[in-house]
Amino acid sequence: MKKSILSLASALAFAFFANAQQVEFEEYDLSNGMHVILHQDSSAPVVVTSVMYHVGAKDEQPGRTGMAHFFEHLLFEGTKNIKKGEWFKMVSSNGGRNNANTTDDRTYYYEIFPSNKLELGLWMESERLLHPIIGQDGVDTQNEVVKEEKRLRVDNQPYSKFLEYVKENIFKKHPYKGTTIGKMEDLDAATLEEFLAFNKKFYVPNNATLVVAGDIDKAAAKKMIQDYFGPIPRGEEITRNFPKEDPITEAMTAKGYDANIQIPAIMAAYRTPSMKTRDSRVLDMISSYLSTGRSSVLYKKLVDEKKMALQAGAINASQEDYGTYILFGLPQGDTELKNIIAEVDVEIVKMQTELISEKDFQKLQNQFENNFVNSNSSVEGIANSLARYNVLYGDTNLINTEIDIFRSITREEIREVAKKYLNPNQRLLLEYLPEAK
Amino acid sequence: MKTKIASLIALFLTTVAINAQIDRSTMPKPGPDPVVKLGKPIKFTLDNGLKVIMVENHKLPRVSANLSIDNKPYLEGDIAGVSGMMGSLLGRGTKSISKDEFNEKVDFYGANISFFSSGAFGSSLTKYFPEILGLMADGMQNPVFSKKEFDKEVQITLDNLKSGEKSVTAAARRVENVLTYGRNHPFGEFTSKESVEKITLKDVINNYNTYYKPNNAYLVIEGDIDPKKTKALVKDLFSGWQKGEIPAYEIPETKNVTNTEINFVNMDNAVQSEIAIINNVDLTLGDDNYYAALLANNILGGGGTARLFMNLREDKGYTYGSYSSLRQNRYAGTFRATASVRNMVTDSSVVELQKEINKMRYKKVSAEELENSKEEYIGGFVMDVQKPRTVANFALNIERYNLPEDFYENYIKNIKAVTLDDVQNAAIKYFRGDQARIVITGKGIDVLKNLENTDYIIKYFDKEGNPTTKPAMTLPIPAGMTAENVVDKYIEAIGGKDKVDAIKTTMIVSNATIQGTPLVMTMKSSAPNKTLQEIAVMGNVMQKSVFNGETGYQSARGQKMDMQQAQIDEAKANLVPFSDMAYKKGALNRIEPIDGVNYYVVQFNDTEVFYDIKTGLKAKEVKTVKTPDGKEVKVPTTFGNYKKVNGVLFPYSVGIKSGPMDLNFEVKEIKVNKGVTDADFE
Repeated sequence: MKKSILSLASALAFAFFANAQQVEFEEYDLSNGMHVILHQDSSAPVVVTSVMYHVGAKDEQPGRTGMAHFFEHLLFEGTKNIKKGEWFKMVSSNGGRNNANTTDDRTYYYEIFPSNKLELGLWMESERLLHPIIGQDGVDTQNEVVKEEKRLRVDNQPYSKFLEYVKENIFKKHPYKGTTIGKMEDLDAATLEEFLAFNKKFYVPNNATLVVAGDIDKAAAKKMIQDYFGPIPRGEEITRNFPKEDPITEAMTAKGYDANIQIPAIMAAYRTPSMKTRDSRVLDMISSYLSTGRSSVLYKKLVDEKKMALQAGAINASQEDYGTYILFGLPQGDTELKNIIAEVDVEIVKMQTELISEKDFQKLQNQFENNFVNSNSSVEGIANSLARYNVLYGDTNLINTEIDIFRSITREEIREVAKKYLNPNQRLLLEYLPEAK
Repeated sequence: MKTKIASLIALFLTTVAINAQIDRSTMPKPGPDPVVKLGKPIKFTLDNGLKVIMVENHKLPRVSANLSIDNKPYLEGDIAGVSGMMGSLLGRGTKSISKDEFNEKVDFYGANISFFSSGAFGSSLTKYFPEILGLMADGMQNPVFSKKEFDKEVQITLDNLKSGEKSVTAAARRVENVLTYGRNHPFGEFTSKESVEKITLKDVINNYNTYYKPNNAYLVIEGDIDPKKTKALVKDLFSGWQKGEIPAYEIPETKNVTNTEINFVNMDNAVQSEIAIINNVDLTLGDDNYYAALLANNILGGGGTARLFMNLREDKGYTYGSYSSLRQNRYAGTFRATASVRNMVTDSSVVELQKEINKMRYKKVSAEELENSKEEYIGGFVMDVQKPRTVANFALNIERYNLPEDFYENYIKNIKAVTLDDVQNAAIKYFRGDQARIVITGKGIDVLKNLENTDYIIKYFDKEGNPTTKPAMTLPIPAGMTAENVVDKYIEAIGGKDKVDAIKTTMIVSNATIQGTPLVMTMKSSAPNKTLQEIAVMGNVMQKSVFNGETGYQSARGQKMDMQQAQIDEAKANLVPFSDMAYKKGALNRIEPIDGVNYYVVQFNDTEVFYDIKTGLKAKEVKTVKTPDGKEVKVPTTFGNYKKVNGVLFPYSVGIKSGPMDLNFEVKEIKVNKGVTDADFE
C-alpha cells in the first residue's frame, strides 16, 4: 500500500518537474558554420560566453599525446588585438572569471562577466578564434607549465595514475589509449609548426559551438554575435575516422605502480559503448545502484558489513566513441585484492540473473531526478551542458529530455545490460600497487 | 514597465550597432553597471540559542539545510581526532531508527545528509525536505554510539591514515600547520596513529555531550521554502535540542620566527617541491584595514593575473600556479604564499616568491593594478551577490562576526575607498617576508644543495613536524653493483665491446678559444697506451706531450722535459684509447644526484668518474691535483654531445675547468684506425 502511494506521488512529481525545469534556449547557425545557442536567465546580472570546440586528445597524432590540452594553454597567450599576458588581466579587471578545460573529446573555453560586459566576452572569444598569436616563446613557457600541471595533478598525487594504466590496456587501436595530459616526452617533442597546423585544422567556426547564457537581451546579443563571429572564414570540413576496437573476449590482467601510495587497489575495467547510446545510460544507473550512497550495494556490503574495503565503487567514464566502466576497491586491513573482486562478482552475477527490487528501482529513479534538478542549478553549468549536448550528442534539447531516457529504463534492461557488458572475459583486472623502492 | 524599458534599450542598441562599424582593434566598452539587489534573509532564534537563517528562492524545486556549530576551537591533545571520529559516527542509527533504515531512507529520497564534528548538512528535492530535515535533526539529537561502529571507524581511520602516508601534499599541509601554529594549538595538532589508538568510545560520547550543542549554532535553510511552514518545522524539530555548558579554553598565542628560515621536510617520492612561505597575522573580517589587506593579497597572489602567477608561471614556467592567501580568523590568521614546483627550480622559486612578497612591502603598487584589483572584487561581488548561498553566507557572517547589518551594503564603497598607501601599509603589516617560515616539502637529495646557497638557515623536520637531521645526500648503491659493472654498462652504451675493441687508434682534432685566441688541439692515441697531445695556435705548436708506452716527454715553447717516474706510472695505468677500461679496477664510491640526474661515481686513483645511471654515458671526470704550494684542487672535465664514429659514441663537447679558466673544446674531426702511425709517438 505504502509503495503504491509513493510511486503515484513521484509520477505526479515527474509531470510537475518537466514543466518547472524546462531550460529554454534558441539555436541557429552562422553562415560560416558556427553553431550558436542562446539561453536567457535574468535571475542574476551575469552573462556566460563560452565556446566548445569539437577537438580533444583523441584527435592528436600518434607520439603527440597531450597536444590538445597543451594547445588550450596556448590560446591564452594573446591575439592580434590582445597583447601577450593581457588575457587574464582583461578578464579580472572587468570583474570576470574565465578558464578552459580539455577532455579526450572536446575543448571548452568560457568567461563569466557581469551582464554589462557581454560584448567584451564575445570580442575575446572571437579574437581567440580569428587570429590567435602562437609563438615559440609561448610554446616554451607553456611546455613547462603543462609539465608542472602533470606533476601536480598526476605524478605527485596518490591514486591518480590508474586511468593511464586502464586506458592503455582497454584500448588497443583507438586514441583513447593515451591520456589527456599526455606523456612528458611527447609534450617536449611538439613543435610550433605542429601547433599552427592543429589550430588551422580544428579551430574553425564550423567546428565550434558558441553559447551565450544569462541576463541578456537576445536581439542585441544576436547582433553582436554576427558582428564578431560572422566575418570569421569557414575552415575545411573535418573528417574523423577513428579505428574501431575489436571486442574484448579474453580476460586481461595488468599491474600498475604508484610511488605515492601505501594501500593497493584493485580495478575491474570493461569497455562499453558510446555515451550517446541507451546502454551507456543504463550503465550509469548500474553505477548508482552499486555505489551511490551508504545503502548502495558495494558500500554496504564491502565497506560496512564485511569490512573488506576502505572504499569500493563504480565509475562509468563515458565518452563520445566508447566508455570505460570501472569497478574498484581499496582493501581494509589484510583483505586480499582477489577477495574484493570475488565479492563484487557475486553482486554482478546477481544483477545479471535477478531483477533489482522495486524499491531499489524507485530509489534509482529518485536519485536521477535529484541529479537532474541539481545539474541545472547555475548558469555556468547550463551553458556547459548546452554546449556538450550539442557538440558531443548532436541534440541540444537533451538538456531537457535526457531525464526521460533515464525514466524509461526498466529493471529488465538493467539486467540485460549487466549481462551484455559486465562479464569476466570482457575485462581488465588491474592490480594498482605501491611502487617498490 | 520594466520590460518595455529593456526592449527600448535593446532597440536603441541594435540601431547603434547597425550604424556603427565594429572596431575589433580595441576592447569594447561595457554597458551601464547592472543594479545590485541584496537579498534579505529571514532570521529567528530558538530558546536553546540556535540561530536560524532562512533564504527563500524558488528557482529550483530543492532545499538545503546547513547546521554549523561555531564553538571556539579547543585542543584535543593526546586523543587528537576524537571530534572527527564523533562526527563520522553520527548518523549511524538513533534511538528510534537503525543505521541501515536511516541510510536506506536518505538514499531512497535521492537526498544527501552528512554529519560532522561541528555540524550537519542535508539537501533534497522540496517534496522530501520535511522528511530529510527530520532525519537530520534526529541523527544530531538522538545518536546511538555503538561499540561495533566505533571499532569499525577506528580501523577505517587507521587505514585512511596509512593510505595517505606517502602523500607529499598531505605531509606538507600537516607540517605547515604544526610549525605555523605550534603542536599545542587547535589548528596545529593533527590526528595520528598513536592518537587514534588512544581514543575510547567513552571519549567520543564525552565529546558529543560536551560540544555538540545549540549554544553557538547556526542553521541556514535555503531554497524552495515557505518560510512560515519551515519556521514551524524547525521549531518542531530543534526546540528539544538541549543547550549545555561549553568549557572555557584559552587558545595559545602564535609567534612568528625572528628571522626568515627554511623548514625542510624530506620526502623521497616527491617529484615536486611544495613551497609555502607562511607567517601568522592578526586579521579578522571587518577590521579597519581588512579591505586594503584583501586587495594587497589579491595583487600579490590572488589569481591568474596576480604577480606571483605572472612571474612564476607565465614568465618562468616553474609551476602550474602560484598563489597567496590571507586568511582572516578570529583566533589565528595566516598569510601564505605557495607554489608546487619541479624539484630543479625549488631554490629559484623561493627567491622569486620572496622577491614578490618583499616588493609589495617596500614599493607601492601601481594605480592601474589597484584599480584592476578593485574591479575584480566588485565584479565578483556583483555576480555572486544574488545567489541564495551568498545571501545566506553574508547573513551568517554578520551574526558570527558581530558585523553591522549594513556591512555588505557598504562593501563596494569600502573596496573603492582603499588607497595605494593603504595597500602598502597592509603589505608591511601582514606579509612578513622578514619573519616567515619557508616550509618546503620535497626530495632533499635533488633540492638541498641549491637551497643551501640561499640566504636562509635550514632546519629539518620529519613528516610529523618533529625536528630531525639533514637527510642523506647520496643514494645507496644497489647490491652487486661494482665499478666493473658500471664500466661495462658504459662500453655497452657507446657501442658494445666488439666495436670498441676494434678501435686501435684514434685521432681527435678539437677547437677552443682561450682569452679570445683560437687554439687547435690534436690528440692521437694508439693501443697499447701510446698518446700524443698537441696544442697549436695559428698553426704553431705551442705545447706537446708524448708517451710511447714506456717513456715520454712534454715540450712547451722549445723547452723539453722528460717524464718523471711517477708520471710514467700514471700514464701506464691508463688504457688508451679508452681509459675507462682501466677504471674497472677502481671502486664504485656512491650514487650522486646532480641537477636531477643520478650518477654512478667511480673512484680511480685521484680521479672521480661520473657515469649517468640512465644513459650509461660518462658525463664528467674530476681529477684532484696538488698545486705547488700543497693545496688540493679539483679539475673537472665534462663530456657531452655524443656522436657515432665507426659505430662508437665519442663526446663532441669536452669542457675543462681549471681554476678560473673555462676551456670548451668542440670536436672538429675524429678519425678511427686512420691517420696515426707509431712515428707520432716518438
